Amino acid sequence: MRRKRWIHTSPLLLGLPAGIFLLAFFIVPLGYVTLLSFTEPSWGIGNYRDLFNSRLFLATLGNTFWTAILVTGLSLLLAYPLAYVAATSKGTISRTILLVVALSFWTSYLVRTYAWMVILGVQGPLPAFIAVFGYSPPPRLLFTNFAATLGMTHGLIPFMTMALFAVMKRIDPRLLDAAGSLGAKPWRVFWHIYLPLSAPGIINGITLVFITCLGFYVMPVLLGSPREQTIAGLIGDRMEQVLDFGGAAAMALILLAVSLGLFAVYSRYFGMDRLWGGRA
Amino acid sequence: MTKESSIRTKAEISRRSFLAAGAGAVLSMPFVKRAEASEKVLYVNTWGGLWEEVARDVWFKPFTKETGIEIRTVSPVSFAKLAAQARTGTYEFDVTTLGVAELGRAYAAKIIEPVEGSALDRSSLWDGAVAMNGVKSHAFSNAIVYRKDHFPSGGPQNWRDFWDVQKFPGSRSLQRYAARTMAFALLADGVAPENLFPYDLDRGIAALDRLKPDLRVLWTQGPQSAQLVRDGEVEMIGMWTGQAGKLVEANVPVEIVWNQALLDQAFWVVAKGTPRAENAWRFIQSAVRPERLAEFCIRDKNGPLNPKAFDFIGAEQAKLMPTYPPNFKQAIVLDPEKIAPQLDELNQRFDRWIAS
Repeated sequence: MRRKRWIHTSPLLLGLPAGIFLLAFFIVPLGYVTLLSFTEPSWGIGNYRDLFNSRLFLATLGNTFWTAILVTGLSLLLAYPLAYVAATSKGTISRTILLVVALSFWTSYLVRTYAWMVILGVQGPLPAFIAVFGYSPPPRLLFTNFAATLGMTHGLIPFMTMALFAVMKRIDPRLLDAAGSLGAKPWRVFWHIYLPLSAPGIINGITLVFITCLGFYVMPVLLGSPREQTIAGLIGDRMEQVLDFGGAAAMALILLAVSLGLFAVYSRYFGMDRLWGGRA
Repeated sequence: MTKESSIRTKAEISRRSFLAAGAGAVLSMPFVKRAEASEKVLYVNTWGGLWEEVARDVWFKPFTKETGIEIRTVSPVSFAKLAAQARTGTYEFDVTTLGVAELGRAYAAKIIEPVEGSALDRSSLWDGAVAMNGVKSHAFSNAIVYRKDHFPSGGPQNWRDFWDVQKFPGSRSLQRYAARTMAFALLADGVAPENLFPYDLDRGIAALDRLKPDLRVLWTQGPQSAQLVRDGEVEMIGMWTGQAGKLVEANVPVEIVWNQALLDQAFWVVAKGTPRAENAWRFIQSAVRPERLAEFCIRDKNGPLNPKAFDFIGAEQAKLMPTYPPNFKQAIVLDPEKIAPQLDELNQRFDRWIAS
């Protein structure tokens, strides 16, 4: 009797340590941030009203979304062929691609950001390369939207590749052979068989990359132009420069609400557990 | 239920309570230790890097030797953290240095300890040493620095030149710091130094708008500003002369333009409500002692605000310091009392300008 009950309750018990940890270090602080946004400097929805009346905030929110869309699209374009080769080729090639992606995945964002600063800098290799083609002086690349977009895309390609690879690996190659043997041209096989079958990976990748991109801080601040801010940078400034904790909290919550909204849409249509590799 | 299991349960309970008691004892131990140690430790917020290296030699080590109070450092300097500390009562640092603009804000927001009734012995300090609950330490110049290799026949000589992109083409950088950058903009627009305060914000923002296309980046950290000129990422920059002096020493082809340099002052302050306030004031008292401040300013290339410090500085070195009396008289000085009433509006408009 006892033993059986123990087995029944054990899954909950197993989740307890992580649950308590999340409660103490995530839910409680989040509650505090929510409270701040409604109480600082005075009670009410003043912070939110101010934000929705602020051209700066709305423009920055728009810019953040636009950048996220751009970066997501670019990473999909670049990661799809990569994941395809990794999933369909045998042995060394596949292993090499996965190793490179994983290495890039494990390298800290800060290190990658500084690497881009060196590459794009005025004395860096990329401007020198451009100068070879007669552009003199070479264009200034650092501290532009281009640099920030490039850095973020590079940072997120591993996420996209992993998401695509996980799904592509499960596509049965015989389906493609079958379509081919029935007379379909290669592009038709891709369009009607491979693309639809890899669609769950595309959706997973887009969701992961897009939402990560919304909260990016280091790369836009260090590589980007000071004029094109992102929400995360604006939140940092609001606290550091203006000491407006209430306004910063409200911004963070709006960003969180938008991200949760996107997750909700995803979850409604595709199921949340699929994102983590489960089969919904 | 079998007998065996009931025994096991009992054993488990006792083992559990034993464990809990043990855990309690272990957990409480660091707290006991920390409470004791709080008497003998002080957390100082520093700018890191070279600044901290100099501060350690000149201020921290002698202080620890004298008092037995150990100094631990926290960097970088964060004004937001100072504000958050007073709110939450959790202290990451007890002492920090603030520029004029932050001092005005910290004083208004009541996030620093009052000097009145503190352990600070004001009678041993010089006249005017204390302002807005901060103790004056040193002054640092914000000046134009340009690449000599880009302007072989001479670069910008004042802020008007800095703004003149036809005469002096090239990309520029300024600090992301409203109180200083606004002064540059107004000087560039022809405002006389004696009429600088209070800032004419409309006029300043309009001037900043004109420079914007050529302002490639706004720097936030001192070493970052040095990096930008060293790499040639920008051709001219408004930066701290202390940092620029280090570039000159490293043979980077840069020229420092002392004309129209803006002096900001660093003040020592104590975080509001810290349990280590007494140690903090004792530290500050020792840090502004003339001989220590003199050595700090020589090594960090700043100017001491304690006039007695010049007794410990050679005549040749003193002449290069921004607070050397003849230099000090000509300098444009940021004054906390003058800019404090404008700070909120100034910061908000500057932030809006950046993103616009």
